[in-house]
Amino acid sequence: MPYKPEIRQFIVDNFLFGQGRDKLQDDTSFLEGGLIDSTGVLELVAFVSQKYEIAVEDDELVPANFDSVNNLAAYLERKVGHAG
Amino acid sequence: MQDNLVMCTVCVLPETFPGISFDDHGVCNFCRQYEADRSRHIEDKARYAAKFDELLATLGRGGGRRYDILMAYSGGKDSTYTLALLHRKHGLKVLALSFDNGFVSPRARENIGRVTDALSVDHIFFKPRWDMLRAIFFAASKQELFSRKTLERASTICTACIGLVKATCLKTAIELEIPMIGYGWSPGQAPVQSSIMRTNPALFKMTQAALLAPLEKSIGEGVSDYFLGEKHFERPERFPWNVHPLAWEPYDEQMIIAEIGLMGWLPPEDTDPNSTNCLLNAYANEIHLARYGFHPYIWEIANMVREGVMSRMDGLHKFGEPVPDSWIAPVRTRLGLA
Repeated sequence: MPYKPEIRQFIVDNFLFGQGRDKLQDDTSFLEGGLIDSTGVLELVAFVSQKYEIAVEDDELVPANFDSVNNLAAYLERKVGHAG
Repeated sequence: MQDNLVMCTVCVLPETFPGISFDDHGVCNFCRQYEADRSRHIEDKARYAAKFDELLATLGRGGGRRYDILMAYSGGKDSTYTLALLHRKHGLKVLALSFDNGFVSPRARENIGRVTDALSVDHIFFKPRWDMLRAIFFAASKQELFSRKTLERASTICTACIGLVKATCLKTAIELEIPMIGYGWSPGQAPVQSSIMRTNPALFKMTQAALLAPLEKSIGEGVSDYFLGEKHFERPERFPWNVHPLAWEPYDEQMIIAEIGLMGWLPPEDTDPNSTNCLLNAYANEIHLARYGFHPYIWEIANMVREGVMSRMDGLHKFGEPVPDSWIAPVRTRLGLA
């Protein structure tokens, strides 16, 4: 599954409004970079839950899993499965 | 708002809203997305209602605890209704906490007194130092303190204020070992996916830092006294569940006003149409609208129209009439901006 491109597309479309794509690096912290706020994290959770049909447990909702493209892709690889 | 703006023909979002686009029928992309997921939204409400019952069964009611839930109680109609639901419908022992930002309307103070008496619940009024509040709201009036994304949902002033409210409630719940915090967010204010969620210490630490950094830069280190410190993060097991039942409970504004009227709650005559408790709100909205071209409540109202809990006409009415300067001028004076 091409997690990184899909995650990047979601972030660009929903938090950067189609702009600033080049500024979004895979290791950019969403929170520290001011890209998303706490409610935005929840929107990100809703996105991955629906798109990949997973249930995100409360103890999985941590920055290590959700705070960058790299972190989220790694989480999805563990949760959903490795890229084919 | 300006009359010549193009608006979605289904909800109330204007062309100036970030990320919006319209199809050939004038329907916005947010409405189209919602419509595609409509059946899931309906299922989610039932699922979260059941999830709350499960949470209460897991936590148990009362027992050795002094309080089951801390209710963030603004005195507005939604938090009043939520307070009553938690105490009467669910039988929870509630500690109501009202955050006094220096602009609580006289009518809201009266309502808070009457309702907490009618429900016989313990109640705390917490007011930070006025010079600190004034400095925070002054800075929020002048600067874009937070990420652009926050501006979709609230003015900078409101985001700063609600950050203080949430931190105060969280600190209190941790210190008093209260397992839940209740909020009166309307169905349009927060997604149902967040309506029952345990506060994650690591995530909260990062979001608090993002909120606190610009405030400290503008005001100084004293503002951190009102947020969580290391002693709180050292007790992760005490971090409570956040619940906002209006995400899944049936919502009808007139029904709510009638119900809480039985407890002595009276509609305000001293606040703008989008608030039933705060005198700062109208000023915060005015700044936001002038700066960004869309009303800070428009996202919430659009969501409620989309869900069918508010008609489009009623939604438009929330923004249709100009706010009298007699509501704005005193706020400017008090903040030193006149």
